Amino acid sequence: MPNLEAILSRDAYLLSVEIKLFWFVALLYGTCLILHLIHLITRKPGPGRLGTNMLWGAVIMHAGLILLRTFEGQRAPFQTLYESLSWFAWSASATYLYVGRKWKDIYLSGILVSALSMGACLYALLARSPAVEPLSPPLQSYWFEWHVVLAFLSYAVFVVSCSIEIVYLMIKPSLKKGFNTEYGLHINNLEIFHKQSFRLALFGFPLLTFGIFSGAAWANDAWGRYWGWDPKETWSLITWTMFAMYLHSMSIPKWKELPASVFNILGFICMLMTFIGVNWLARLLGIPSLHLYAM
Amino acid sequence: MIILTKIKSINWQAIRENKLYRRFASLKTSVILLGILIGFYIVGTIFPQGGQIDDYIKAGGRFTPFVIFFNLLNIFTAPGFLLIALLLFINLFICTVERFLLLLNQRANRADGLEFIPAYTFPLDINRQLEDAHGSIKEIFIKDLGFKAYPYHEETALIDGSARIVEKGWSYKWLTWGYHLAILFCFFGFLLTYLFSFEDEIILYPGEAAAIKPATISRWNKSWGHQPQELDFKLQLDEFITEYNQFPVLDYPNDKLSRLAMAMGWNEPKYFVKNESYFPKDWKSRLKVIEGNKTVLEKTIEVNDPLYYHGTTFYQAAYKQNLKIQVDDNPILLETDTDNELMIPGIEGMFRFGTIKTGTLFKKDGSQEKIKSFVDATLVKKDSAGKTETEKIGKLEQDGSLIVDNKKIILKEVKEASILSYRSDPGVPILWWAGVMALLAMSLRVFGAWYRIIYRIEEREDTPYLSFTIKTKGLMADEEKLIRRLKHLLENMTEPIDLDTPV
Repeated sequence: MPNLEAILSRDAYLLSVEIKLFWFVALLYGTCLILHLIHLITRKPGPGRLGTNMLWGAVIMHAGLILLRTFEGQRAPFQTLYESLSWFAWSASATYLYVGRKWKDIYLSGILVSALSMGACLYALLARSPAVEPLSPPLQSYWFEWHVVLAFLSYAVFVVSCSIEIVYLMIKPSLKKGFNTEYGLHINNLEIFHKQSFRLALFGFPLLTFGIFSGAAWANDAWGRYWGWDPKETWSLITWTMFAMYLHSMSIPKWKELPASVFNILGFICMLMTFIGVNWLARLLGIPSLHLYAM
Repeated sequence: MIILTKIKSINWQAIRENKLYRRFASLKTSVILLGILIGFYIVGTIFPQGGQIDDYIKAGGRFTPFVIFFNLLNIFTAPGFLLIALLLFINLFICTVERFLLLLNQRANRADGLEFIPAYTFPLDINRQLEDAHGSIKEIFIKDLGFKAYPYHEETALIDGSARIVEKGWSYKWLTWGYHLAILFCFFGFLLTYLFSFEDEIILYPGEAAAIKPATISRWNKSWGHQPQELDFKLQLDEFITEYNQFPVLDYPNDKLSRLAMAMGWNEPKYFVKNESYFPKDWKSRLKVIEGNKTVLEKTIEVNDPLYYHGTTFYQAAYKQNLKIQVDDNPILLETDTDNELMIPGIEGMFRFGTIKTGTLFKKDGSQEKIKSFVDATLVKKDSAGKTETEKIGKLEQDGSLIVDNKKIILKEVKEASILSYRSDPGVPILWWAGVMALLAMSLRVFGAWYRIIYRIEEREDTPYLSFTIKTKGLMADEEKLIRRLKHLLENMTEPIDLDTPV
């Protein structure tokens, strides 16, 4: 049987490696952000391309980091907020790279994605405890992995959808006036680029629906109530409702332009509230939450 | 019969043309109602739901009149919220009915409202008559590409006299309709929950069979003046089991600069095991369901694995701990629950006890250990100014002792009871099935692939041409891939020709 001291020093060593790697990944995301900002300012594709290539490196390294964390905890690595933030940063960047793999010289949406990824990593590193915790009894459920993975996949998709929406709203007025923006977007490909935003939200919506449904089924098993108007639950419903408004608006001719874009961005803000903001809100207002492990 | 006759005599067409009805059949109304609901949801996350107004005032709430007037502490059962939810239900119901009628109509007249504007044109350079080309193309669409040309298409799908329609995949319109219908059923499930569900808690001590007498009643029964009924079976707790994981404490700095320094390798994180390194692993209750004098069911429940019996579900909610203390040699033991404070004569202040650690400890090295029950004791004193001071006394083990103010305190006995919550909710099965159906239909609609091709074969200068237009729905639908396959199949059918004819 292994000696306790040896186990603890091995765990501490692995954690030390993980923390250093995590800082390095955060630094890479930060560098990507700077390169994308240089691309925004100089209008040259070079920094954007370099930033995107570097983002590939960050995502690959981050995948390794998540695997290391899985090995350390011997369970899926998204129990604590520290782990969820890391997972969020990785999934948002990976989704962005996958979606944008065929875009030619369009890098602007990388600004929001790399900024969020860097922010999530820094928040985890500076404000959360990296201790590997065992699964608490309520989390020991077959719903755990499915609920979190699919909900976070929807979050990642909404991040990219919003980043495209913002770029579209930024670029469209210039292109309509006949200016060449030099960001890889022109009057012929702008709408095709923008359509990706809708398709992503459409992709994310069933995933978010599954996230809410599986959460309710899980709560029913664990706490005897499928819905308790807990702040986290309610904000996930707000996010769902906002995206439902967005998707329905896209079928209303008069609303499919600016109002729909606004709903998409608001949906993204609601998603951030569900993930991070609600913890702050619950603490600020002293509202008890059953999702304390995620705070 | 009379009701049926009355229903038949209603002028449905007039109702459908009514302005208010049209307003409720509108998508804009759905979006507006969803927006209003969001407002209610946000308010519900700002004001603690289910709280009492007195607690709100004590906590420093500043909007008391506003909170009372709008019932903001129970906003999700307030009339305003229920009214908007009802309006959304009506909107959804009318939209679903209207869409159903529209889809039925389209089923009968598939070509209605469709225009044929060809997007692709391929020459069919074959030495056959046009009639043969028709047959071969239809075979490609149906046999090779898996499209369907419904029998009635022959009569109804002709546009401009010669265009035909073929479709592939689950109809996105029916799927969209399907998940909206499922959401309507979810509303029905919510209604059942709202009207008929009730819940309560029961405390079970090991070895005791307890009758279950809910103190609460469903809204429906309450409105009829009924009283809560005792359930027709008893529950017995045979054993309550607590398990812990050994949870090493991490020595890791809180301040940002020290964390940065750790990243630079100036310091290393360390794990160490302390007395309080216990992390809850599981709570289990070994239960027996007793009807009359007969045990009809036995089950060990835990969090996430409840007991279902006769429409009621029992959940492992919490536990209650009780301890008995002997002071010096006094044979009369002092008894308290761990969530209460205890006054011991001769000792200034009140004793407060933490959670009693008992049961099994699963250690990091893979071994297991029976925990010798213990509890952490603290003494809470108030000075003359009313200021509270907390002093840690130490770890009190079973049959062990601590000396406080020259008094010997001995932990003589610990006892645990299981707290189960139970709930009866007839809405859950409906919600479960409706939720699964909604998800399934939504996933097929969004992730699936649906194609509709309208095509026409025409002859130009003795050469037959295939002109067609494609409509796709669903994220898996790949128009380019379909065109490539179609080209390939056409090439196999015809003499080698260049099919990359511009549109």
